[in-house]
Amino acid sequence: MTQIFQRAWVGKGLILLLMALTLLPFLSLFTAALAPGGTYPSGIAWPEAPQWNNFVRAFEVADIGRMMVSSLIIVLGVVPLAVVIASMAGFALAKLVPTGRKWLYLVFVLGLTLPFESIITPLYYEIRALGLLNTRFAIILPLLGLYMPFSVYWMRAHFINVPQDLSEAAQLDGAGYWREFWYVQIPLARSSIMSLSILLFLWTWNQFLLPIVLVQDPAKRTMAGALGAFQGQWGTDVPLLSAGSLIIMAPTIIIFLIFQRQFVAALLQGAVKG
Amino acid sequence: MIKISPKTLPLVLTLSATAMANQATAAMDCGSEPLTLNAYFETGFPLPTQLAEEFSRQYPNVSFDIRQDQFANLMENTPRLLSQDNAPDLIRLPSISDLVANGLLKNLDPYFEEFGWDSFPESQLVQTRAHESGRPRGVGSLYALGLNYSTTGVYYNTELAESLGMDTPPQTLEELDNLLARAKEAGIQPIQQWNKGTGGLNFPLQNLMGSYSDPEAINAWIFQQEGATINTPENLEAANHLQEWIEAGYFSRDVNSVDYFNMMSRFIGGNGLVMFNGDWESANLQEQMGDNVGFFLMPPLNAGDAYATMSSPLTFGIAENAANADCAAYFLNWVATNETARQINVEVGGSNPGGPANLQLPEVDADSLISTTLAASQTIAEDNGAMDFIANATGAIFSAAWTPELQRMVGGVQDAEGLLSTVQEEYENQLSR
Amino acid sequence: MTVYKTEKKVQRLSPFRGGLNANRAAWLFIAPAFFFYGAFVLLPMAMSAYYSLLNWDGIGAASFVGLTNYITVVTDDDLLQIIANAFRLILYFTVLPVIVGLAVASVIRNQMSGRFGTVTRTVLFIPQVIPLVAAGIVWSWMYDSNGVINQLLGFIGLENWTRGWLGDFTYALPAVGLIGTWVLLGLCMLLLVTGISRIDASLYEAAKMDGANAWHEFRHITLPGLRQEIGVCVTVTIIQALSSFDIVYVATSGGPGIETMVPGLEIYRLAFAHREVGLASALGVVLMLLVLLIVIPVQWFTREKQ
Repeated sequence: MTQIFQRAWVGKGLILLLMALTLLPFLSLFTAALAPGGTYPSGIAWPEAPQWNNFVRAFEVADIGRMMVSSLIIVLGVVPLAVVIASMAGFALAKLVPTGRKWLYLVFVLGLTLPFESIITPLYYEIRALGLLNTRFAIILPLLGLYMPFSVYWMRAHFINVPQDLSEAAQLDGAGYWREFWYVQIPLARSSIMSLSILLFLWTWNQFLLPIVLVQDPAKRTMAGALGAFQGQWGTDVPLLSAGSLIIMAPTIIIFLIFQRQFVAALLQGAVKG
Repeated sequence: MIKISPKTLPLVLTLSATAMANQATAAMDCGSEPLTLNAYFETGFPLPTQLAEEFSRQYPNVSFDIRQDQFANLMENTPRLLSQDNAPDLIRLPSISDLVANGLLKNLDPYFEEFGWDSFPESQLVQTRAHESGRPRGVGSLYALGLNYSTTGVYYNTELAESLGMDTPPQTLEELDNLLARAKEAGIQPIQQWNKGTGGLNFPLQNLMGSYSDPEAINAWIFQQEGATINTPENLEAANHLQEWIEAGYFSRDVNSVDYFNMMSRFIGGNGLVMFNGDWESANLQEQMGDNVGFFLMPPLNAGDAYATMSSPLTFGIAENAANADCAAYFLNWVATNETARQINVEVGGSNPGGPANLQLPEVDADSLISTTLAASQTIAEDNGAMDFIANATGAIFSAAWTPELQRMVGGVQDAEGLLSTVQEEYENQLSR
Repeated sequence: MTVYKTEKKVQRLSPFRGGLNANRAAWLFIAPAFFFYGAFVLLPMAMSAYYSLLNWDGIGAASFVGLTNYITVVTDDDLLQIIANAFRLILYFTVLPVIVGLAVASVIRNQMSGRFGTVTRTVLFIPQVIPLVAAGIVWSWMYDSNGVINQLLGFIGLENWTRGWLGDFTYALPAVGLIGTWVLLGLCMLLLVTGISRIDASLYEAAKMDGANAWHEFRHITLPGLRQEIGVCVTVTIIQALSSFDIVYVATSGGPGIETMVPGLEIYRLAFAHREVGLASALGVVLMLLVLLIVIPVQWFTREKQ
C-alpha cells in the first residue's frame, strides 16, 4: 500500500515540475512586460514600479482589435466551408463507393504529411497571378486546399463507422443522397464535426507561413502572422514586445480555458487519427 | 483551371508600366487631392517617420501608411514587395544592384531633371547610380536617393576612456590596439558590438580594411566592377586583425546573441569602452549618455595617413510600379532642400543632410556629438575616404555570406582566410546568375 | 413553417434525387473538396516539380537546367548541413517528449482523473494552443543573455555556464530543439497517459504476482500496450521537426552561422530573398519526399501488429 502511495506522490511531483516548466516562460515574459519601456529587464524580476501602462501601449500600437477581427474573418472563411466540403467528400468516400475510390483516397491522404513550405513558392506565384496577394483570400483559399487531406480523412473515418443500415433506412424512406447526407448523417456526425472545427480553428488562427509570404498588411493577417509583424516592428523594445505578445496570445488562451475539455479531446483525437 | 508560367510576369509588369507612363505627364508633385504614400521603413530609426510627419504638416493632403521591419527582414522582403502590385512608394533599400537588374526600381533621371538635382554634389549621387543591368554600380542612371549621408566610426565611453588614461583619440591603429588591451586588462569590456540577426562585426572589419587598404579597391568590389575581389592581401591583414581581436576576447563572449538594440542598450548603460557604429546614433547617444560619449574616426595605420570609413547614403527608392511615384520623389527632394526638413535631418538623423552644394549645413551646437560626427564626415570627404558598406555589394551577400561567416569566426570555426574566400565565392556565384 | 419551406427548397435544388446513379452522386459530393485540394495543393506540387528544373529568379526569363538543382541539394555542404539540422531536431521534438512522456505515464498510471487531472491537462496543453511564433518569442527571452536560464545558473553559482544560448555554436540547435520539446511534451504525455489507462489493469496485477519488477512491467506490459500511441507521437512530432519554420524564424533566423537553419526556412529565403526559385523548389520537393520516406516506415512498423 505504501508503495502505491509513494508512487502516486512521485508521479504528482513530476507532473507539478513539468507544469512549472510549462508556465515559467510566461511568468518571465510577464515580469519583463512590466519593466519600464525601452529598458532591458532581467529574466524574472518584479520591477520596482510595475508599468501596467505597457499593456495599454501595446494594445494601442498592436491594434489588437483589428487583428482579432481579421483573424476571425479568415477563420469564418475557412472553417465552415472546409468542414462542409470535407464532410461531403468523406461521406462519399465511405458510403457511396465511387469507382476509383481507393486511388482517390490515396491522392487525398498523400497530402497528410505535406510540409507547407514545400509548396509555398508556387503558391505565391499562383496567388499573385490570381491578383489576390495582400487580400485575406490569399490565406483562405490555400488553407481550404491544405486542410482537405486531414479533414477528408477525418470525416471519412467517422462515416465509415456509421452502420450501413442507417443509409438503407434513409433510402427506403425515399430520401436522396443529398437529403440523407444533410438530415441523417450530418446530425449524427456532430461530435466529429465539432472536433474538426476546433482543430481547423486553431490551425488557422495560428497559421504563420502563409500570411508572412502572401499578405503584407498585418491588419489582414491571422493572429500569428500579425504577431510576426509586431515582433519585426517592436522587437527592439523588450517590455513592449513582451506585453504585446502576451496580449496577442491572450484570446487563444482564454478561448482554450473556456472550452478546454473540447480542445483537449479534439487535439488528442486529432493526433491519433492524423 | 489556373495556369501560371514565368511568362505571364513580364506581361503584368508591362501593363503596370504603361499605366504609369500615362500618369507621368502631370506635374511632379503631390497635387492637392488626398493621397497616401505607402512606405516601408527600418525599425528603430525615428528619422524617416519624423520627416514624414513634418511633410504631412506642410502638405496636409498627404498622409503616410508606414510599415516598419527589422533590417534582416527588410533585406528578405524587399525584392518580393517591390515586384507586387501595391509596391511601396517609398522604401528603405539595403542594396540596389539586383533590384535595378530586375527592373524593380524607378529610374529617377526624370526627377533629376525636374528638380534640378545637378545642383547636388555628384559625389552624393554616385553610390545610388547603376547601369540598367544592375552592374556596375556608381555609373549610369539614378535609382535611389539618400535621405542623408552617414559616416561611421568609433563611439567611446569618455568616463571609461579617461580611467584608462586616454586623453586624445588614438591616432594610429596601434594606439587603438593598446587602448583595447588596457581595457581588457582593467576588466572593462573593450568593444561592445552586435552580431545577431545581421553581422555587426562587419563594422570593425570594414574599418580595419579602411586602415589597411585603399578604399577605391573596396568600392570597386562593392560596385561590382569587372574582376574585383575582396580577397586581397591587405583585406586579409584586416580580417586577421579582426580575428586577433576576437581571440583576445575584445568582443563580449555572447556577441553572437547580441542584436543591434541589445548592443545599444549595453553601451548606453556603460558596458563597453568602444562601439563601432554610425552617426545616425549621435543624437540618441548624446541624449542618453550626455557628456559621457565621444566619437573618433577609425585611425589609419600610420599617423598622418588618410582616413577611410564606411560612409553611404541612407538609401531610399521608389518602386517601379509605385502608385504615387511623383509624390514620393517630391518628398525626397523636399527632405534635401526644405529648411525644416534639413534641421530635423541633422538633429534626429545626426548625419549630413546632403542636398544642393550651395545650401548651408543647419546650425548645430558646437560642443555636441553631432558636430563631432559632422566634422568627421568633412574629414572623410577631404581624404576621399568614403566607402559604401561591404554588406551592400549584392542583395544577398550580407545574409548569405558576411553574417553567417562572421558568426562562424566568433564561434571559432572560421578564420580570416576562409572568411574572405567564402565571401568572394558567394559573390561570384551571385554575379554569375 | 420555415422548416417545411426549407425542406421543399432543398429538395427542389438538390441534384441528388433517389434515382441518381450512386457513382455520379459520389463524384459530385467529392468535387468541391477535390477542387480546392487540386487548385491549392496538387497544382502547386506540380508547379514545384516544374520550377525545380529551372534556373529562374522569379522575375526574368527562366532557363531549363534539368536536374542541376537537385544535384546542388545533395552535394552542397551548406544545404546538406541544413537537412541534417532538421534530423537533429528529431531528437528534441520526438525522442525527448516520447521518453519523458513514457516515464511520467508509467509512474502516474491512473492518476489523471478528477480536478488534478483537469488542471494538469489544461496547463500542459497551453503550449499546444499558442502560435509557434509566440513560443519562439517566449523562449528567445528565456535564452537571452539577461534571461531566466542565465539568471538561474547565476543563482546557483554557475556563472561560468551562462552564455547567449541562441548565439552559441554548441548550444543553439539544442536550445531551439528544446523549444520544440516544450511545445510537444504535453501532447505526447497525455496521449501516452490516456493510452496506459486503457491497458488492462489485471495484466499488472498478474505481473506483480509473478514477482516482476518495475522494469519488467514496463518492458513487457506498458511498452507493447502503448505501441500505437507511441507511433502516433513519433509520426506527429517527426513531421513537426522536419518541417519546422515558425520557431526558427523568430528565435534565431538560422544563426549562428547556419547552425539552426532548417529546410523550411531555407526554402523561404532561397525563394524570396535570394531569388533562386528553382533551387528553393528542388529543396521543397526533397523535403516533401524525406518526410514521406520517414513517416511511412514508422506508420507501418507501429501498426503492423494491430
